[in-house]
Amino acid sequence: MKLGDFGTSYTKLFDLTGVAPEPTIVPTKDLPAGLQVDWATGHNGKRYAGHYVNELIALARGGEELIGRPDFLLLDCGSRDIKFIRYAGGRVKDMGWNAECGASMGFTIELLERYYNLDRQRMQVPTQTFSVTCGVLGMSDIFDAVIAGVEVSEAVARFVRGIALNAHRFAGEPDLVYLSGGLCDHPVFVQSFPCEVVPLGRFVLLSGLMASARRQEPQTS
Amino acid sequence: MAGAGEIPWSRIKKAGIVGVPPRAVIGALNAHEIDIYDLDEPLIRADLETATPFLPTVYCAILRTAVVNALSCPLDAIFIDVGPGKCDAARYTAQILMQQLTIPVIITENTDRERLGNPISESGLPLLEKIQRITAGVRVAALPAEAPPPVPATASFWGVPPRDFSILELFPATTHVHGWTRCMENKTPADHALELVINTAVPTVFFAQSFCAKTALARHLAKHHPHGLYLDVDAHTTGSAKAKIQAFLELAGAMA
Repeated sequence: MKLGDFGTSYTKLFDLTGVAPEPTIVPTKDLPAGLQVDWATGHNGKRYAGHYVNELIALARGGEELIGRPDFLLLDCGSRDIKFIRYAGGRVKDMGWNAECGASMGFTIELLERYYNLDRQRMQVPTQTFSVTCGVLGMSDIFDAVIAGVEVSEAVARFVRGIALNAHRFAGEPDLVYLSGGLCDHPVFVQSFPCEVVPLGRFVLLSGLMASARRQEPQTS
Repeated sequence: MAGAGEIPWSRIKKAGIVGVPPRAVIGALNAHEIDIYDLDEPLIRADLETATPFLPTVYCAILRTAVVNALSCPLDAIFIDVGPGKCDAARYTAQILMQQLTIPVIITENTDRERLGNPISESGLPLLEKIQRITAGVRVAALPAEAPPPVPATASFWGVPPRDFSILELFPATTHVHGWTRCMENKTPADHALELVINTAVPTVFFAQSFCAKTALARHLAKHHPHGLYLDVDAHTTGSAKAKIQAFLELAGAMA
């Protein structure tokens, strides 16, 4: 069985038919023509599979698989949007998907780091922050700060911290966040949350997709 | 009623309504065999921005739709309900329409209290058909001849009829209707006690139109419901809003 989490910037693939299967990450723009998987999730997933599971269901099932607790909040910070799912007493209590006001934050971080040639592993967690409502609007703060003499890495770090605080508010300001998505490996992002954070990595939705496949969950649009 | 003095019934062939005017008004329109157009629903292919010279862009999409319809449809009069059965936003919209249009714009305040029941809300019809029947029922004072049989609920839709009906296709047919839509079917739109009735035994989507005062009530009720999801949607339903409904109903086991 082949699984795919087709994100806006990156696609996570998992071919379970191999000898020692490991998930792989491919830039979505480099996906080979004609690629097909058995089960898919993600913004672009419908084009690539016979079975499509919407991302919130995949996220929820992934949380059930990986966290294994009746109460948890799982926050997925992707390239294009942020979404969360909250369980209480073993069942879904709340969820959110912010594709508009929280838009393009992960994508913007990657663009900025590439443009300014910054190493996210060496960035320092800032004490100040920008009030970031979306990736595009947040960039103005960075440019203004740089003009005012702030180091570029410091300005971008403030932007990243602002995104983390915004995501925490969006998720309802929990005391403990299980984190999913590409920003799990961004030290400034993870350490900027004003609460305990448990990073689960980039393959949470693949785990959820596997669980959905086992359940033969109906296709969603 | 206000806005037109004596209503010139004999000169009215086509009337628009906004909200749920009193049953007596609808009865009079029916008695005079006047064609009724529900201006809350998209009746013509026109951009909502057509309403922008008269209403702010950030405003209830239902009322913006009503204004677009009122400006475009060849009507002889408009009956617009305001007050406890509708909202203050409709009251201000009525004032604007009065100044913009040459036809009578008649303001009504529906305080009807006679409860006529909710057979459609509790039936096994697909949710889309339930809401279509309820909204169509606003144009008729008499009750439907036949009531569909009831089914046990596995989910509930609470709120106003959405401007974009496509979200209704995501619910199972065993979804019961609550909130203001239930009040519409009951022909008591100002019955706030009925609007507060919820079913805590089934997962419930608390829906409100963006920028509507009912967003506060929807969010409050969802917060205190043991299994509620708050959702507000503007003119068109986004993919993420649809995904939230699907995930909520699927994970709650309401689709089984």
